Formats: sequence, structure tokens, C-alpha cells
Amino acid sequence: MAMNKKALQCAIALAGVSALALTACTGPSGGGGGSSAAASGPIAYGTTDKVTALDPAGSYDNGSFMVMNQIYSFLLNSKPGGADPVPDLAESASFTTPTEYTVKLKSGLKWANGHTLDSKDVKFSFDRQMKINDPAGPASLLSNVEGVTAPDANTVVFKLKLANDQTFAQILSSPAAPIVDDEVFPADKLLDDDSIVKAKAFYGQYTIDTYKKNELISFKAYPDYKGLLGKPANDAATIKYYADPTNMKLDIQQGNIDVANRSLSATDIDDLKKDSKVKVNVGPGGEIRYITFNFDTMPFGAKAAGADPAKALAVRQGVANLVDRQAIADQVYKGTYLPLYSNVPSGFLGANESFKDAYGDAGKPSLDKAKKVLADAGVTTPVTLNLQYNPDHYGKSSGDEYAMIKDQLEKSGLFKVNLQSTEWVTYSKASRADEYPLFQFGWFPDFSDADNYLTPFFPDGGFLKNHYNNPTVTDLISKQLTTVDKTERESTIKDAQNALAKDISTLPLLQGAQVAVSGSSVKGVDSTLDASFKFRLGTVSK
Amino acid sequence: MTTLIEAPPSDADGLLPSKKKSSGGGLGTYILVRFFLILPTMFILVTMVFFLMRVIGDPITAAQGGRLPPDVLAQRIHDAGYDRPIMVQYFEYLGQVATGNFGTTITDRRPVVEMLATFGTATLELAINAVIVALLVGIPLGLLAAHRRDKAADAVLRFFAILCYATPVFFAGLLLKLTFSVWLGWLPVAGRASTRTELAMGALAAPTGVYWLDALRSGNMAALGDVMAHAVLPAVALGLLTAGVFLRLVRTNVIGTLGKDYVEAGRSRGVSEFRLVTKHAYKPALIPIITVMGLQIALLLGGAVLTETTFEWKGLGYQLVQYLNARDFVAVQGIVVLLAVIVAVTNFVVDVVAALIDPRVRY
Repeated sequence: MAMNKKALQCAIALAGVSALALTACTGPSGGGGGSSAAASGPIAYGTTDKVTALDPAGSYDNGSFMVMNQIYSFLLNSKPGGADPVPDLAESASFTTPTEYTVKLKSGLKWANGHTLDSKDVKFSFDRQMKINDPAGPASLLSNVEGVTAPDANTVVFKLKLANDQTFAQILSSPAAPIVDDEVFPADKLLDDDSIVKAKAFYGQYTIDTYKKNELISFKAYPDYKGLLGKPANDAATIKYYADPTNMKLDIQQGNIDVANRSLSATDIDDLKKDSKVKVNVGPGGEIRYITFNFDTMPFGAKAAGADPAKALAVRQGVANLVDRQAIADQVYKGTYLPLYSNVPSGFLGANESFKDAYGDAGKPSLDKAKKVLADAGVTTPVTLNLQYNPDHYGKSSGDEYAMIKDQLEKSGLFKVNLQSTEWVTYSKASRADEYPLFQFGWFPDFSDADNYLTPFFPDGGFLKNHYNNPTVTDLISKQLTTVDKTERESTIKDAQNALAKDISTLPLLQGAQVAVSGSSVKGVDSTLDASFKFRLGTVSK
Repeated sequence: MTTLIEAPPSDADGLLPSKKKSSGGGLGTYILVRFFLILPTMFILVTMVFFLMRVIGDPITAAQGGRLPPDVLAQRIHDAGYDRPIMVQYFEYLGQVATGNFGTTITDRRPVVEMLATFGTATLELAINAVIVALLVGIPLGLLAAHRRDKAADAVLRFFAILCYATPVFFAGLLLKLTFSVWLGWLPVAGRASTRTELAMGALAAPTGVYWLDALRSGNMAALGDVMAHAVLPAVALGLLTAGVFLRLVRTNVIGTLGKDYVEAGRSRGVSEFRLVTKHAYKPALIPIITVMGLQIALLLGGAVLTETTFEWKGLGYQLVQYLNARDFVAVQGIVVLLAVIVAVTNFVVDVVAALIDPRVRY
């Protein structure tokens, strides 16, 4: 292609100069409406979570659920500041028989696209969730649902397999339960995000205005929303997605976003606490970290050399007496995790500190107690422990956490710890295939109820498959699940925790806090950091 | 295999001996052979990526391995078809690729082709910006180094070139970010544009995805400035990587040309050294740059992965890292195949250009 070289040179020079000139005139611009935004103006939220799908049947992760909480509603939901489910789309909801849970809907509800929202949509939402049963979806949470009927436009009846399921109200506000538009969503397959956005199939505090998946989402307040959460404190919001938490940290410091939530590193949060331009908001967290003991392969386990249940228990008790949770929480996690002294974390019905009562010295390690339990059982020390942790799934600080645990155990002289790490995919399979005698694991609840820290874990070895099975514990867990009386249920949950602390199937270590950083002029973040673990953009204003 | 040749010198002074015209024999065969060599290259690469991705695990275990009992997990893996014999999956995949069906990403459920189009434009934009930086830095400094050869300035520039090439791009990126964004606050920390601009770009009727182009088309000068501000640091970080190569190449070629008889003749006539460099020696020295630019594409794309991750520049490189972490082999295969096609086609074009310039490479 022939071209005048002089013209080309001039064009390049001009482009360069123009670029420099334009750049010189432009500093970093604030997100979400800029720095001059008035109170209740647009809110810019940043996160490193990712959206899998906007279709509730196709995703089961924090990133997707956070967006769903802004654009869909539930039959039951929790008010900001609490975690107890109360009517949202429902007018009333209760057990009408031990196996029937009846919900009366509010009337006159309209989707953002003008379609009517009634019991047909509700039945459809649950039916399709169970029918699609997507491998990446939350249908497993509905395992107790036998069927759903809609006798009239405002009534929905859930037929349950297990009578008096005390977690069912929580299930109705869980990732399995957002209500979707039956005129938009297909009954037997997932709907892609763009089609959902295009069809405006929303009924929540917000509708989606612009959708660039895992890049940027902009929301507009939905004026016809009549649900539990009410009118949002801002008229619009954006979510900006990050890969690197450090970039998110810098953006919150520079005012380019108003809120940074999930997940800043402990070091970054510690650093931000010293920055006067931002505020670090801390709320209760449901995430827990723990060590699992494999009852077959741990030292003196059922299939290990010199198998002896009493000695195996003494080893577990020895470890429980020596671990200093507070030191890990303070030194490794800078207060973003708190010491956890029971299988049910604090903030949930019946949570106690059974491990604090049974081991150590009021939460501190006790070398004397550790020595005694091992000596009483006739265990020769030092005991060699092959302890596995994962360096890439539970955060970058796992290495430091487990190095500290190794140090705590070894300095007692009672244990020799071989610390090993494996990448996640291999780790998650090998840990449940009897390859690791002791291993790190973590948990984030499906819904806000103590049962979610018990039922998945302990009856018949639970999902951990660590060969732990105590019929007494199983009975207690089953009992609390169906006990209607709250006080009695609370007492049963405590009994279950006390029994678990005696056996030490798992050793609870840490409970995560929810940490969201906001600009100093931003309000309302602290009110949404509650035990429901739902971040609601509608509470935030500036 | 691409052959890098020295460009023919400028005949500006009319001093060069006349050359026999090449018969051009074998050019068609040469081009055909080069073209068909792309196919086995692509096949080998697709195969390698397919099997390597299967080695690092499946996405269902990556996402849900910590929550589900092993039997439920196994059932889900079975339902997704990831436990079928590997060769069955492989041939199925080859069949899909042959028909242009790259599937749907596993972790965020979008058609791979759509994903490639969305993020490819961002990578293209970054690559263009980086090449501009490389040319603006590499060529003038290369000329200067040649002009001041064997003097202090030349030594400094040669050291600078080595530094550019040897410094890991993510390290350069972090240094730039730390200096200009964090300490000085002159430029944005990350991203392709501010939220406001992103929303404005998203509202355009038919956006190209190349932000500065979209901003120009819409006449939104504030958005253009914002996009430029965001583009500076990533472009510099990635551009300097190639600038070092350009600098040394221009310097070497210019010095080589300055030793030619026709330049000596000019010198003996009293033509100034500066004029010799800028009028006679630099043009022939620039021609290999075109060839080298083609060869640098792989380096540029490799650098783009790190640059995009450092600066949250949401292009193919950025996405590749995200998908790799999630073991989304469908997405990774799609991205790697596209990158490989770009490199293979670029090399093919370079080979053809080289063959057209110098008939010797055809034999």
C-alpha cells in the first residue's frame, strides 16, 4: 500500500501529542458517578468474587448469589442486621401440618418486564430448580422437598419429606430459592445471563441496566419493588470485578469505588485500618477453618499401625490442648479471623465454646494437659503427625497458618509434624480418600443455621468421609433438626457440640469475619454485614 | 522456520550495482508449504493443551471439591462427562473444533466464541498501544545509539535496551503502577477505563470493543482522555519489552548500513553524519523492523497475559489466568487456540513477506 511517508510521520506525531495532551488533562476518575455524587447517588462496589450465572438454577457461589440478592426476591428473607427469615414476597409462611409448609403471597406483584408475579412463578421456580438439578447448582438444598403445589394465585404449599424441618425457612431464603419469571425462564434448562438481562426478568430492589459479565454491572432501583428490603438508600449502583485484591485496595483508597468487599488479604485490611480515608467495617462471619482427623489413618487410627482408639483420642486431645488459636488469628490473619472454640461458630443458635471448656487453659494452650492425656493413654512421644494443608484454595495465608500450628505443636516436644501441601483439585479428592491422616479444611454455610455446621459433617462421617461415627451425636443432630421448640433445640445443639468436643472428629480453629472497606463518607455498610451473609447494595448511601 | 534477512540498502544515492531480477521460481510452492505447515502446528498445540488441561484437574472438583461427599462429587463429574475415556473426549473435542464449535465456558457459562470476541478486542487494543510505544521508543533511541556509537550515550542506550528486554513485564508493570499511580497519583491504578466511561462505552449502539476507537467514534473526548490515561501504563510496560529489541535492531542495522560503500562515498563527499543516519541509513534499517514485529507477536501475547493481570486489563490474557485457576479447560483451550492461530498466521505472513523481499529464502 503506497502511503505518503511524511503524512504518516505527521499522523503518528500528532497522535502521540494528542494522546499525551489528553492524558495530561485526565486524572483517575471516580467510579459510580464521580466524586461529586450527592447523597443517595450511585454506589460503586468492588469485589474479586465472580459470577457463574444469573440463573439461580445454574450457580451456587458467593459471586452469583450476591448479584441475585439485588435483582430477585425470596419467599422469606432477612432484614439487614439480622439473619432470621421473615416474609419477603410472602405475607405469611408457616407449617400447616408437620410435612406441609404453606406460604401466602403478597398480591399485585409485577416483574420489571410487566409480567405478573404470583404462585405460578413460585411453583415454577422450585420445580425447575429440582428438575434441572445442575451439577453447579444449589438443587441439593431442596432435598427435603417432595413437591410444590399452587392451589391459588396467592398460595404455595411445600410438601416435605422430613417433618418439622427447622431449617426450611432458611432454605427458602437460600441460593436455591430466588423466585424467577415463569414466562422468561425455560422449565428444563438454564437461561443465559444476557437473555435474563434483556427480558428484564427482575423483581428485587434493583434491575440490571448494563451487564458486562465479571467486568461491570450497573443497577437501577426498581420503583415497583414491594418486598421486605424496601426502597434502596441509593438510586443506582455498580459492581466492579477485580482479579487482584491489591488493585481493589488501591481503588478504594483512591476513591474510585465506595465499597470493597470479598476478598482483601489480611495484610491489606490491616494496612487499610491505618488509612483515615477509608473505614473498615467488620461483621459476623460464617466461614470456619478446621483440622480434620481421619479416624482410620491418623496415628493409632483403626487402620494404622498399633491401632488403639484410646491412644488415637489422646493424640487428638493432645493437639487440641496445644493449639493457640488466638495467636493464629492475631499474627497470621490480623484479626480478620477469630478463634473458634466449637463446631458451630458464634452467632448461631446454640453455639457454645465446648473446646475452650474441655481443652487448654481458658483458650490458651496447656502443655501440662497435653502431656497428661498422652501419658495417661500410654502414648510414646514425640508422636509423628503428617499434616496436610492446601496453599491455593483457602487463601495465601494458609502456609503461614500451618507453619504456626506446626511450631505450636513441635515446641511442646510432644509432636513431630511433617507439614505437606498439595494443589486443590488433587487435595480435595485425596483428603477424602484416606490419603491424609490430618488435613486442613474450611466451610462456608449454605444458609444461616447451626444445623449447616452439623448435618453435613458428622452423621456417618459426613462429607469429610473421615470414618467418624458416633450414634449419640447422630441422634442429637437429627433431633435438633426437627425440634420445634426453640429453647429445646438450642439445648440439643449445645449437647451435640459438647459430644463432638469429646470425640474431636474435627478441631475447630478459626471463624472468619465479614470485612468490607468503605469510603469515609459512605454509610450503611455495617448494617448489611450480618449473619445472613447477604450483602445488600440497597443499604449503602453516601 | 522464518528467516530474518538484512534489508537491501537504500539506493538514494544511485551508487548501488544493479541486481539481476529473480525469476521468482517456487514462490507459489513455498507459500503453499508454509500455509499447510500451520495445520500440523495447530493440531499439535490443540492436542498438547487438551491433555495438559486434563492433567490439572476438572472444574467441578475445583469449584465444589470442598463441599460435597466424594460419591456426590463423582456423580456430578460423571453427569458432566468428565470421567469418560480421555480419548473419547479428545476426539469429540477435535470434531467440535473442526466444525468451529468451541463449546461453552464451564465456569461462567458463555459461548467461547463470544468470549474470545469480547476479550480479544481488549488484547488487540493493548497490543496496538504497546507496539506504538515500542516504535516511539525503540526507533528514535536506536537511531541515536547508532549515531553516538561507541560513546557514553550508546552504552547507556544499549544497557537500557537489555534492561527493557530482560525485566519481567509484570515487575516493570508493578514498578510503573507503584510510581505513577500509588506514589504520584498521576494515572489510574488499573482497568481499561473508569466506571463512568465503561458505562458510556457500554451504552453505544455498536461498540467495537476497542475503547479509544469507540470514544473517538462517539466524539466523547472526556471518555477518550480517560481511556488514554488508563492505557498509558499497560502500554508502556508491555511496549518496553519490545522496544528493547527494536532499539538494538535499529542500532545494529544502521551501523551496518553506515559501513556500506555508498555511505562511505557520501561521507567522502562531505555529507554530515547526522544526515547520513537520518536520510540514508535509517530507511533500510527500518525494513527488518516489519519482519521482527511479526516475530515479536508471540512475545507480545505472552507479555500481554502478565500485563493484563497486573493492570486488570480485561483481555484474553487476563481471562486465561482466571480460567486456568478454575480449571475451565473449555475456555483455556479456546483462548490458547486463538492465540496460536494469531501467532501461526503472523509467522506465515512474515515468511511470505520475507520470501517476496528476498528470493533466496525460498530455496
